[in-house]
Parts: sequence; C-alpha cells; structure tokens
Amino acid sequence: MSESAEHTPVISVRNLWKVFGPKAENVPENSALKGLSAAEVRESTGCTAAVRDVSFDVNKGEVFVVMGLSGSGKSTLVRCLTRLIEPTAGTLEFDGDDVRGMDTESLRTLRRHRASMVFQNFGLLPHRTVLDNVAYGLEIQGVGKAERRERAGEMVDKVGLEGLGHRRPAQLSGGQQQRVGLARALAVDPEVLLFDEPFSALDPLIRRDMQEEVVRLHNEEGRTMVFITHDLSEALRLGDRIALMRDGEIVQLGSPEEIVANPADDYVRDFVRDVPREQVISVRRAMRPADAGEAEDGVALTPDTLVSDAIEAVARSGKPARVMKDGKLLGVIDHDRLLSVVARLGEDDATGAAADEGKVAAV
Amino acid sequence: MSTATTPTLDKEPAGGAQGPAPDPDRRSADTAQDGLAARLAANPKWLVIGFAALVVLVSAVVTGDGAWPGGWTADIRTPLEDLDNWLVDNRDSHWLFLYFLLHISNAAESGVDAIVSLFDSLGWVGVTVIGTLIAWAAGGADRSRRAVRTGVTALAVFAVCGILEMWAPTMETLALMVVAVIIAALLGLLLGLASGLSDRFEKLLRPVFDTMQVMPAFAYLLPLLLIFGVGIPSALIATVIYAAPPMARLTSLGLRGADPVALEAARSLGASPWQRLYTAKLPLARKQMMLGLNQTIMMCLSMVVLASLIGGGGLGDEIYQALGKLDIGTALTAGVAVVLVAVLLDRTTSAAGERLDASQTATEPAGMAKVRAAVWGGIVVLLAVFAAVGSAVWESEWPESWTVSWGQPVNDAVNWFTDHLGSGIPVVGGTVTWAEGFTEFILNPLRSGLLATPWWALLLLVAVVGWFVGTWRAALAGCVGLALIGAMGLWDRSMDTLSQVLGALVLTVIVGLIIGIVSARVERAERMLRPVLDTMQTMPQFVYLIPVIALVGLGRTAGIIAAVIYAAPAVIRITTQALRGVDPAAMEASKSLGATGKQQLFQVQLPLARKALLVGVNQGVVLVLSMVVIAGLIGGGALGYDVVQGLSKGNLAQGLPSGIAIVCLGIMLDRISQPAVRSRKGS
Repeated sequence: MSESAEHTPVISVRNLWKVFGPKAENVPENSALKGLSAAEVRESTGCTAAVRDVSFDVNKGEVFVVMGLSGSGKSTLVRCLTRLIEPTAGTLEFDGDDVRGMDTESLRTLRRHRASMVFQNFGLLPHRTVLDNVAYGLEIQGVGKAERRERAGEMVDKVGLEGLGHRRPAQLSGGQQQRVGLARALAVDPEVLLFDEPFSALDPLIRRDMQEEVVRLHNEEGRTMVFITHDLSEALRLGDRIALMRDGEIVQLGSPEEIVANPADDYVRDFVRDVPREQVISVRRAMRPADAGEAEDGVALTPDTLVSDAIEAVARSGKPARVMKDGKLLGVIDHDRLLSVVARLGEDDATGAAADEGKVAAV
Repeated sequence: MSTATTPTLDKEPAGGAQGPAPDPDRRSADTAQDGLAARLAANPKWLVIGFAALVVLVSAVVTGDGAWPGGWTADIRTPLEDLDNWLVDNRDSHWLFLYFLLHISNAAESGVDAIVSLFDSLGWVGVTVIGTLIAWAAGGADRSRRAVRTGVTALAVFAVCGILEMWAPTMETLALMVVAVIIAALLGLLLGLASGLSDRFEKLLRPVFDTMQVMPAFAYLLPLLLIFGVGIPSALIATVIYAAPPMARLTSLGLRGADPVALEAARSLGASPWQRLYTAKLPLARKQMMLGLNQTIMMCLSMVVLASLIGGGGLGDEIYQALGKLDIGTALTAGVAVVLVAVLLDRTTSAAGERLDASQTATEPAGMAKVRAAVWGGIVVLLAVFAAVGSAVWESEWPESWTVSWGQPVNDAVNWFTDHLGSGIPVVGGTVTWAEGFTEFILNPLRSGLLATPWWALLLLVAVVGWFVGTWRAALAGCVGLALIGAMGLWDRSMDTLSQVLGALVLTVIVGLIIGIVSARVERAERMLRPVLDTMQTMPQFVYLIPVIALVGLGRTAGIIAAVIYAAPAVIRITTQALRGVDPAAMEASKSLGATGKQQLFQVQLPLARKALLVGVNQGVVLVLSMVVIAGLIGGGALGYDVVQGLSKGNLAQGLPSGIAIVCLGIMLDRISQPAVRSRKGS
C-alpha cells in the first residue's frame, strides 16, 4: 500500500451514495440507518441503497477491481463514475475535477474523451459493420469519416480482429463481439477504461483469452482501468488492488494477497476460502527469520515470489531458500512454512507473525 | 330449442378459459374425489357462472320475451336528422367548413387528382416500368433471388390487372393508396416518435390505439361521411385514420424496445440526445418500423377498397356495384385485381424488410449502398421523363386489344354451379341447401333464443362472464355497451347481429383450433399453411364476400362463412404459435415420462397455452364482428344492413345509431373475451 501513495489518484471517490426510491436524498444523511443491513434500510425507508458511503482512489496506471456478488452494487458504482447513474450524495473527482458539479456539456466531454466503458452484453449496434461500431465513439465526437475509419481500423487490428472490419456484429462470436466493444472503448483513447463485467457472458476458455488480452493491453499502454467482476479468480488475476463489495458497501480494499491472506471479516474469509493460496501469497508473508548458518546457503528468492514458485525452488534444491532484497537477507523459507501456507495452518497468526517478522528482518 | 342458445354464450369464453383444464386434472386424479363436482365446489367462480347460466335459461323459458323496455329508450333519430340537415345546409357557408374542413377536403382531393393525372401521363408502360423498378429496388436492387422475385411479381400484377380489363380502377385505387399511405405513414411516424420518446404521450395514445384496434373498419366511415359528405376526401381521411395506428404503434414499440445496452453504450460515449436518436434508437427500431409500414399499407388497401361505399371509387367500387347487380363475374375479376394489388404491396414491403434483416447477418459488397442510391435516383429521373413524354408515346390505359373478358364465363360457371351443385344432389344436398339448413337449424334458433332471453338476464350473464374472464372493469364495460344498445332502441336488431356473430365465432374457433393444433403438431402442414395464411391475412375484407356468394348465394349464412374464412387465419396462427411456444422443457419432461401425443396435447400443451389461446378467441371476436357487418352487403341484414344503407345513401339517422350499436357490441365482446393478462400482471 505504501507504493500507491506515490501515485496521483485519477479517480477519487469520497462517501459516495446511490439510493433508489422515494425521498432517496434523505437516506445518506440519516445517521440512524448506519449499521443497518440493506434489507433493514429498505424496510424502514422504502429505499434501496445500492451504493453506501463508498470511498476509494483509483491511481494512475493501476487496474482497480471492484468485486462482489450480483446485487452488491458494483455495476451501479461504476455507472456513477461517469454519472450514467446519478449519485445521490458524496464527492467524485476525476483528475481533480468535480464530476458531480459538471454541466451537461462538460460531462459529455468527460464521457467522450476521458473515460469509456466496456459492457457485459457488448451493446454493439447490429446495423453497423465492426469498423463503424469501433468508430462510433469518434463519430459522436464529430471526427471526420476518413480519419475515424483509419483510427478504428488500427484498433480493430490491435484487439486481434484483423480482416473482420466489414462483418456485422451478428456474424461474430461472443468473444469477438466483446473485442469489438473493447476496440470501441479504446478508439477514443480514454484516460480510464471502465469494464462492467465484460467477460461474464463468455465461455470460460474465451474468458481466459480476453483476460490475457486485457493484461497485455495494460502492460503495453499502462492505461488506468476500473474493472467490475463477480469472478474472484478474474479479480485476483487482473487486479492491482481489489475492492470487495457487499450490500453496497466496500468490506475490504487491498491487494489480492492482502485480501486472501488477511480477510477483513467472515464474509471475505468465506469468499476466498477456495482460492489456491500458494498462487496469491508471496514468500514475504510466509518466511521466518533466518537461523544462524542459513544466511549463506540456499536458493535466493525475491520477497515478491509466489509461494507456488518457491515450492518448486525448495523442492528442487531440497533445502530452505533465502528471501533476499537488494543483497540483504530478509528471512528463510522452508518446507514447513510452505506447507503451512498450502494447508492454511494458523491463518491469522501465521500472517500476523510473518508481518512482524518481516518488520524485524527489515530493521 | 330457445334454451340451447344461451349456454353457447356462456360456454364460449368460459370454455376457452377453463375447458382443457379439468380434463387432465380429472384423469390424473381419478383415485381422488369425483372431479367435476369437487372442482365446482372448490372454485366459487364456476358456481357463479353456473348460476348465471341457470338464471338465463329459466328466465328465457318463463318470460319468453326479452325486449328492452320501451320506456327506457331515447329517440336519437330526430336529433341526428336535424344535425344531418344542418350539415347539408351549412357545409358551404359555416366558418368551420370554410376556414378549416374545406381546406382539408380540397387538399385531399387535389392530392389524389395529382397522382391520378401523373399515372395518366405516365401511361400504362410508364406505370408498369416504374412500378416494377420500385419493387425490384425495394427487394435490394441486385440480382439476388429476392430482388428479382419482387420485381417479377410487380410486373405480373400490373400485366394481369391490365389483361383483366381492370386497369382504370386499379390506377384509381393505387392513386388513392399512394396519397393515403404517404400521409398515414408520416402521421404514424410522428405519433410513434412522440409516444416512443415521451412517456406522457405514450400514456395518452395507448388507450386510444387500443380502442381503435377493436373498432370495425367501417365505423370510421360514418363520422367522416357526416363531415365531408360522399367523395374522395371522406375516403382518404378515413383511410388515414384507420391505417396510421400500426405505424405509430410499431415505431413506438421499436424505439422503446431498442437494446438498452446499446443505448447505454451510446450514452457512455457521450452521445447527445439527438445523436442517440439518429445513430442508435432509429436504426435499432428500423425493423419494427418496416413492419409497421407494411401493416399500414395493408390496412390502407383494406380501407380504400371498403371506402368505395362512401365514394372512394376504384376497385372497391367495381366490387360494390357488381355485388349490387349480382354480377359475380365482374366482382370476382375486380376481387382478383384487389388480391393482386395486395400481394404486390405486401411482397414489396416485406422484401424491403427482409433486406434490412439480411444486411445485419450477411456481408455485402462494399459498393452496394452506392449502387442502390443510384438505382433510386434513376427511378426518379425515369419517372420525370415518362411523366413528360409518356402519354405522347403510348396510351394512358392498357391497350384494349390485349384484354380478356372473363366476366361472362365466370357468371356462366357460377350459374352452372348453383344449378348443379347448389342444391338437389341426392343425399348430400348441395351448398345452398347446407346454407339454408344452417340458417334454419342453427341461426334462427340462436336468434330467437337471444330474443327470448330477458335483457336483464343477458346483462347479468355478460357481467359474470366479463368478471370471470377479465376484471370487473371488463364486466362493467360490457354491461354499459349492452345497455346503450337497448337505450338506442336497437335491442332486437342487435340480438340478430349478435346471433350471427356468435354462430360465426363458434365456427371460427372450432375451425381455427383444429387446424391450429394440426399445424402445430405436423411440421409439413404448418409449412404448407404458412404462405396461405400470410396471403389471407393481407386481403381486404371485401374480397372474401365474392366466392362465398358464388357458392351459397345471398343470406346470413354467406356472411357467416365469409366471416369464418376471414377470421380463421388469425385464430389458426395464434393457436399454432401458442402450442409451439409451450416450454420445451415441459414437453420433454412429459415425453420422458412416456406420454403419448394425445396426452401431451391435452395435459401439457393446451393447459399451458391457455392464455394465448384466449387471445386467439379475442382476435376472432374482433375480426368476426367486423366481417359480419360487411355481410350486410350480401344479405346479412340487421345492423350491418342499416350501416351499409346509411353509408351508401348518406342517411345518417339510419347508419349512425346502428354503427354505434355495432361498436358497443364489439367492445362488449372484446372486453368479456379479453383475458386479464395485462391488468393482473400490472397490479
């Protein structure tokens, strides 16, 4: 988390509320409702609080994942960011500009140039060719036909649809259609890409392809992304940071490793129970202080190495491995520690201890 | 015998609603208590229905006279005659006419005149060439099968109309059509846009459209006759009013049904409301709008033909005159021309719709859009050239030497048919004999039964059935409609019409259900039926009268047969769709349990499709009623006769009350046969 402080937030959300129902604007101010569950709020006010008092920053260049089950308010939240759904209360800044205070014209400029969205069900226009669908955002901006066709053509190639520019959406597979949706969003060269469960409607194999596509694009361009999903493994694979939502509230916000290793409450713990921990947790959390004599011997690993990779290294050498950073020994990881991660022994103590030991070692 | 009539009334809608249900239940639960009695006791609605039916039976037998009390009627003839006289006196002098209505009527007249003279100066070659080219261009303007087929159809239609000596009336009809379609489509488009984009407008228009859909076509003629008198303006305006709603309805539906995700995507890209309308909403609604245009055109044709009753001229007039003279040959010839024009218009517009569809799933050569624009441009240029020089080069009408007169041969054939097959065939009888039998043994008892039933018992029955099938509002509307009829002093004549409607309705439902079930279960039957039904549903009502007269002569039965033929396609189609629309999982489950085809039909398909089947019955009611009235032209008598007479003689006092009575009957029948799907879901 200390790293993110160096970045400037692109999107900054503070105490954001979205309430549906009669007299919705009264709900955020009503402190009596604090701590009530969504069902209880609905009972006492007749309103549905889809987003409740949510605050977070999205930093430049990161993939920020909002994760939750259906009905948790995540899709509403992402629509609030460009006011496709009007928030009820709270502040919302985009590069320091107050989004909620924008008039229609500047809001339109925001949507045209600074943030574009990829939808779960694609939202393509069936009467247009792939090329014209991709160029649609530029057309709305008023870009001339020749130029927008050219730029759309580049995007079509970029997302791997070479030669399909003259097809209609109905002639494409689901995965290809979503590539068109992705290209359409990229074509306007936005600062931020918003993804609303973009791959939920796709087959698992194609979903995997598309996730890799997103990772590739992110690595190439470093574009800021806000990614909504209900799929934990997708969240863990893509997210630099994950906000876990439940009943409109963020229950935990942190890196994938923090969420898996350090669930904030039983709900999150339940959620991450089936995650293969060795693929998320790094050796920094799993190591122990070095005993005398271990400092000189064994494979050297960086603290960010995943436990699954460490297992391979330790198994090959048959000896404990050293965790090194900048030539300094931070600790040692051996069979016992690795196994206890996989077997989730002493979950909270182990991680807590590891964090303490990490500090000790760092000093 | 009189008692046999009333149960038909109650069993009809009720039977449609619950008929299939008790069967399977009883069969599956035969170990439990005796089905029917238990069900009756369990469902108080059945008890009430039974009670109402009993009241009707007993009161009909006891009183034997159902006349509406004379003291409760209002004299509406005198004020109507006064109004009519006033209108005749003031039509040329009152400011309302001078500054408003006369302008409309003049514009209508000159619009149609302009098109007629355009056709004249194009000449027969010009009209045929341009018509064929337009059809070909609508089909895609290329060498695809669709485009060529549409073009060839158009060519054939023009040629046959010419050969049959129907060129001049066909041109008259087409001229009226061109103007009516343009105005109706534009009006419909505007209303559709308004109600598609504004919720308030939608709320305002929807009930109006709903009511308009139930009204028989000729109901629009009466008020216009009143204002504009006999002639083209009345015909044109009635046509526009009658035909605009489908365009408006479907445009609105298309705009509202547009993929919400696509619209949200447009919004998320920063599209302004106008951009959203132009680039997303309208293109997404294109298919529905094309369908609306098709329906509007077909309704225009239907009305233009019917409007010959009030001076619309053209093919309808030929049929109307010929029917009056019992000249079946000429009527049939004109009828064929109407059918051909209907086929031409339907094929052309649906080809255009198909092309739009296909363009979304097939890749076209890049230059095709330009080619198409060039073709349309060429057509316009050609039109101008032909209009300038056409009449100088060739005649304006189809050359007479190229015609075949088959009026007389047809008349001979019909005479031979009536003489040899109409009656007197040993054992079998003959078509005319059957018709007479139907009148004597079914219609007459039905009518006397209705007449014998006291008015209050009938009101009670309508109320109970309406409440049972729909809601209390339906019951109320039905009763008010019936009471209004009584108050206008038209009770007896309305019962006569009602007996015909019920007779036709029962036949329609029987025929429709049987054929519908067959075509739902036999793939091949459905494939064979579909084009036939498609064609039948686009035909103007008038056309159906002609063959029926040839077969069974004039009379009520002829009207009923025409009504059955006219209404059955809709019922067949809805039945087929309803049965096929049954959840395939339920069908598969029953099959996996080893159900026979019959068990599947009675235990799964019919019960599950019940709601949709009721919609079919409801459609049947509306269609049958509108046809039975037109049967006033061929001896149907009663209200239909009054209306037709009132229209053709311009006799308002005779036509208008009967017209209102028919509308009342229509609303009553529609409401008590309309399953309360909407209202129940809504609440």
